Amino acid sequence: MRVVMAEDDPLLREGVALLLGAEGLDVVAKAGNAEEALEAIDTHKPDVAILDVRMPPTHTDEGIRAAVEARRRHPGLAVLVLSAYVEQSFATELLSGGVNGLGYLLKERVGRVEEFLDALHRVAAGGTAIDPEVVAQLFTRSHQDTRLDRLSPRERDVLTLMAEGLGNSAIAERLVVTDGAVHKHIRNIFAKLDLSPTDQVDRRVAAVLQYLEESRRAR
Amino acid sequence: MTDAPAISTSTSTPPSESPSAPPPPPPSTSRATVRETVVRTVKAAGAAIAQLAGGFATAVLALGVLALLAVTALTAPVGVGLLLAPLSLRALHALAGRERARLDRVGPEVIAPEPPPTRLRRALTDATTRRELRWAARHASLGLLLGFLGVLLPLSAVRDSTFPLWWRLLPEGGTSTSIGIGSAHSWLDALAVLPLGVGWIAIILGLSPAMARLQAEPGRRLLAAGPDIDLSLRVAELTATRAAALDAHATELRRIERSLHDGTQNRLVTVTVLLGAARRRVARDPDAADELLERAQSAAEHALAELRSVSRSILPPVLDDRGLAGALSGLAAECAVPCRTDVDVPQRCAASVEATAYFVVAEALTNIAKHSGATRATVTVRARGGRLQLLVEDDGRGGADEDGGSGLTGIRRRIAALDGTLRVTSPKGGPTRLEAELPCG
Repeated sequence: MRVVMAEDDPLLREGVALLLGAEGLDVVAKAGNAEEALEAIDTHKPDVAILDVRMPPTHTDEGIRAAVEARRRHPGLAVLVLSAYVEQSFATELLSGGVNGLGYLLKERVGRVEEFLDALHRVAAGGTAIDPEVVAQLFTRSHQDTRLDRLSPRERDVLTLMAEGLGNSAIAERLVVTDGAVHKHIRNIFAKLDLSPTDQVDRRVAAVLQYLEESRRAR
Repeated sequence: MTDAPAISTSTSTPPSESPSAPPPPPPSTSRATVRETVVRTVKAAGAAIAQLAGGFATAVLALGVLALLAVTALTAPVGVGLLLAPLSLRALHALAGRERARLDRVGPEVIAPEPPPTRLRRALTDATTRRELRWAARHASLGLLLGFLGVLLPLSAVRDSTFPLWWRLLPEGGTSTSIGIGSAHSWLDALAVLPLGVGWIAIILGLSPAMARLQAEPGRRLLAAGPDIDLSLRVAELTATRAAALDAHATELRRIERSLHDGTQNRLVTVTVLLGAARRRVARDPDAADELLERAQSAAEHALAELRSVSRSILPPVLDDRGLAGALSGLAAECAVPCRTDVDVPQRCAASVEATAYFVVAEALTNIAKHSGATRATVTVRARGGRLQLLVEDDGRGGADEDGGSGLTGIRRRIAALDGTLRVTSPKGGPTRLEAELPCG
């Protein structure tokens, strides 16, 4: 898999590149700011671009804007955004452009190599990867919503994993249940939340995230 | 990457971290101290004479204004005085303003009260006008006398000290000394005049600063805004500086956040990433895993170093350990330019004040080392009347200007945030003086 990496801190950039290289990925370019990142993406046309959110010059949301721009220029480009902390508005801004091939993870998640590689492969394949911490925050904030209370604890777990972008079999593996059980839970969830059912993972993620986001904002 | 705080200079252990090392002794020898004292006395006397002369000028003007006011008062029943009144009152206020400006130049600021009314009826009952009148009376008498002496003494000193050189040129029977006693007929008599000249010089050197202060005292006491007026002015001043303080606070917080975020957090993420990679390797390729662990450890050490420097830039631990004197002598020792400190602060001030003083001196010394080309610097700190007075001097090329670099603006903002005052005197060619005053809090 060919990867472009953009991170302004040189030590961290080298560290992640080292990790990816050791795992057999091909880091074709390393960028230190948004401009260089976009140039590298245009030149190398990678399978996935990993972008840090805070980069020079303003150190606010350069990575997000670069991600949006890169996906505009190269439709279908998979982008994984790494953030030092969970900024809810960033997540929603990113996701508003569609969740396919999009990931938003905390930087330290890269240290959990297996999970990180899973997320990376999922995103590169057109799926979604949302950091569990982001999802957890979405849940705590929409605590007021009575409809979420209707869900059983197991269903909440499934909903959480759906929001992170996992597919059915991945959810089944994580929760140590059968695929059929997961399928049943998901149907119940959609029914209880009054969402129209869909089996397509990406649409599911979008629907769930949108739902959670709306109930958060309605607070 | 990270904003390096201005005070972290060397990576070697600063004096504050070796508990057994005594503070460095001042480098001056006793001969240099005597010379310095003489120079200082002469300079102070010179400044005092200049001040007395300036006061003499305003005293003469005060006499004139008083005369004008007297004429106004006398002709008031006739009606002419009533027409003259606004003019003479304006003259009084203008003169008071000039005296305030003069006093500002030679000492601490004299805050002017609100401009008083000039219409006669209101002016008669206005407190400011009455204080100005009292001042004019004092100044035109005592101030005039002192100023006259201040002008006369140097002249007499010069005349009597050089008398033996030119007494031959005087006509026979002319007075021989400045005080007019006796007359010289021989070389012995002429030489006897010398001690008189020396006496005048001694009086000038010893008494002129006190005389200048005495002359300025009525002005400082009567021309400054009265206590109640002062209060409303202070409220206005405080409101303005409060905004500056909040601004400075926000900037400081942002700086700390950035230092922590960019530096320390990224360092720790790197550690996590390297540890994860090492764990993947440890079974199959222990050597590579060990290399990754080594890098992780080094990144963790970096993080600790950054944390230390961030915490130093918030509240230097050395202030707690060794007090302001010790902390400042540490800064002086680290400074690239040889620097002497003279700190006399009997009581500790509030922590934020001491920290601000520390950072002001640190930034000032950094500026000196970077821009001034100086060969020596001195830091003097005194605590007087509930205020901490900082003085940083260097013998460099001067020309320090606030728009040129951010150093002075940073200092000014720190001081304004604590409601202090800053004065920078830096003529082209030097030397440079930076004087700051902070309330002890």
